[in-house]
Amino acid sequence: MAVVAAAAGWLLRLRAAGAEGHWRRLPGAGLARGFLHPAATVEDAAQRRQVAHFTFQPDPEPREYGQTQKMNLFQSVTSALDNSLAKDPTAVIFGEDVAFGGVFRCTVGLRDKYGKDRVFNTPLCEQGIVGFGIGIAVTGATAIAEIQFADYIFPAFDQIVNEAAKYRYRSGDLFNCGSLTIRSPWGCVGHGALYHSQSPEAFFAHCPGIKVVIPRSPFQAKGLLLSCIEDKNPCIFFEPKILYRAAAEEVPIEPYNIPLSQAEVIQEGSDVTLVAWGTQVHVIREVASMAKEKLGVSCEVIDLRTIIPWDVDTICKSVIKTGRLLISHEAPLTGGFASEISSTVQKLCRIEDYPFYKRGKQTKKSKLLGQAQWLTPVIPALWEAEEECFLNLEAPISRVCGYDTPFPHIFEPFYIPDKWKCYDALRKMINY
Amino acid sequence: SVREILAELTGRKGGCAKGKGGSMHMYAKNFYGGNGIVGAQVPLGAGIALACKYNGKDEVCLTLYGDGAANQGQIFEAYNMAALWKLPCIFICENNRYGMGTSVERAAASTDYYKRGDFIPGLRVDGMDILCVREATRFAAAYCRSGKGPILMELQTYRYHGHSMSDPGVSYRTREEIQEVRSKSDPIMLLKDRMVNSNLASVEELKEIDVEVRKEIEDAAQFATADPEPPLEELGYHIYSSDPPFEVRGANQWIKFKSVS
Repeated sequence: MAVVAAAAGWLLRLRAAGAEGHWRRLPGAGLARGFLHPAATVEDAAQRRQVAHFTFQPDPEPREYGQTQKMNLFQSVTSALDNSLAKDPTAVIFGEDVAFGGVFRCTVGLRDKYGKDRVFNTPLCEQGIVGFGIGIAVTGATAIAEIQFADYIFPAFDQIVNEAAKYRYRSGDLFNCGSLTIRSPWGCVGHGALYHSQSPEAFFAHCPGIKVVIPRSPFQAKGLLLSCIEDKNPCIFFEPKILYRAAAEEVPIEPYNIPLSQAEVIQEGSDVTLVAWGTQVHVIREVASMAKEKLGVSCEVIDLRTIIPWDVDTICKSVIKTGRLLISHEAPLTGGFASEISSTVQKLCRIEDYPFYKRGKQTKKSKLLGQAQWLTPVIPALWEAEEECFLNLEAPISRVCGYDTPFPHIFEPFYIPDKWKCYDALRKMINY
Repeated sequence: SVREILAELTGRKGGCAKGKGGSMHMYAKNFYGGNGIVGAQVPLGAGIALACKYNGKDEVCLTLYGDGAANQGQIFEAYNMAALWKLPCIFICENNRYGMGTSVERAAASTDYYKRGDFIPGLRVDGMDILCVREATRFAAAYCRSGKGPILMELQTYRYHGHSMSDPGVSYRTREEIQEVRSKSDPIMLLKDRMVNSNLASVEELKEIDVEVRKEIEDAAQFATADPEPPLEELGYHIYSSDPPFEVRGANQWIKFKSVS
């Protein structure tokens, strides 16, 4: 283990040493790299800097939704928006630069097709965009707002957390802004630096009243986005920007829905559960195949899909089966969503532990809680998983996340939780 | 300096923010830098203006933002505070007629950015004329220093290239327009003409300056590509101000970075 640590540390320092020349000249460089990257050659070092930290793995072609077409992520988003605008005459799309198609081409052609009163630009004012969207949604029209980068969502944070999320609750269900959906490009992209690479899902996870959804692929994106738009709660839909072009697969042309608050078990396994969302799903898929190949370990890979309200049931059932859990995300470790999953899983409330429930009798408090409609997916989840996960854990839950620093500019390759860091964490868990 | 700017763009340790900021985060003495969210620096400027007033050293604060950022709410909050407390702040809107790709007519209800201050007096300045800008700034600084409060300046200027690496710069305007501005109202060209016409300098002298400048930029570019990147240990530096360096938690349990400041 110490050898791995030393080699890994040395390897990272080698990369930091700068020009590719250093790779060849430093003694033992070949040895260190050979240890961790058996297939790598010296010539690859120059190319490796430009290669992404993941490989997109497309899902098999879906057959049950009719004719499909090869689309990448931004095209599947355009298709979903197209379907929405066609189906719902009150739907409007607005945001910075959406009229010409958007900086990531997610809204190409929509203005020509549906008119400039349904697809329009806003000035540079995120707080204004979301506030304005809440206004549209409260009257019943469907508002699809775009925040140009997830990093820019913070001026709108007050509107989302204080206004949108609490509208239904504070008006006693008299009003709601459920038909608001906020879409935003999310996550690291290789050259984004501090303000084009953030993953702010954890900030919103702390806010009851909204739903946060992150797809991993074009097929998922279209279904989840359509579900978000049709959902009667304000939703934030984060789109992994690095996948906009890199991810291409067969996506049905007709509209279809993927249910929210349901995690998907992509790959069944029996030894370790790996949980991630967005781009990171592809990283852990690769880690799963590496583990199978090198350690003979069978991994269960789960894509969380909806961050809140999250699917406690699927994750807990999986951990009860495997006994080990590794969660990975790009956002910083402290307070990242992995911490919520981790602490819920290790001590899953049996229903007796749930503060307001008295077995056999519904108290006034639990009735009031039932009225907060968005919570309904969570409460049945708590009821179904009856066993405590803690006693089933074979090793401490592992979280492989970004460092607790602002997202760095030049240090990005060292910051992100790539497959090697996840693999090492997995090995440590297996050998616990 | 030019070297530091170019080195910062390429993320080297000789850069003005030691390579950790990148393109939008240049800092220097008395230059409090660029912000990710455009418009976020305007309340910052108002705060610095308060400090200037408080310190009594007859300093003023210049806060720059663009025509796109002029639609942010926090700017109006800053106007209100500056006017209320008579802060020596010069708000400068660099109107280059386009946000990233949105022309001012499509983004703003009122394109008279110098009037946006409402209760703050505003100047509209031809940003392409160097002497005009200098005089206007002189006037504005004198105004602020006399204790009358903030003032707004709109500099009407132009941007030749796209907004960023991913913006080609021609999809929302014609090449002819760019060429026209470049040939008729390029600031350097206008100043050159003026100097030559009034016999302040000869064409040869200006050519010499050109050559020197080119050389300096070449050197700086060379430096920017050759300078080493900041060492990996610096990943965790300068998060907090802390007396004992603490370890930054993250992806690995055993590779940790120390945070030192």
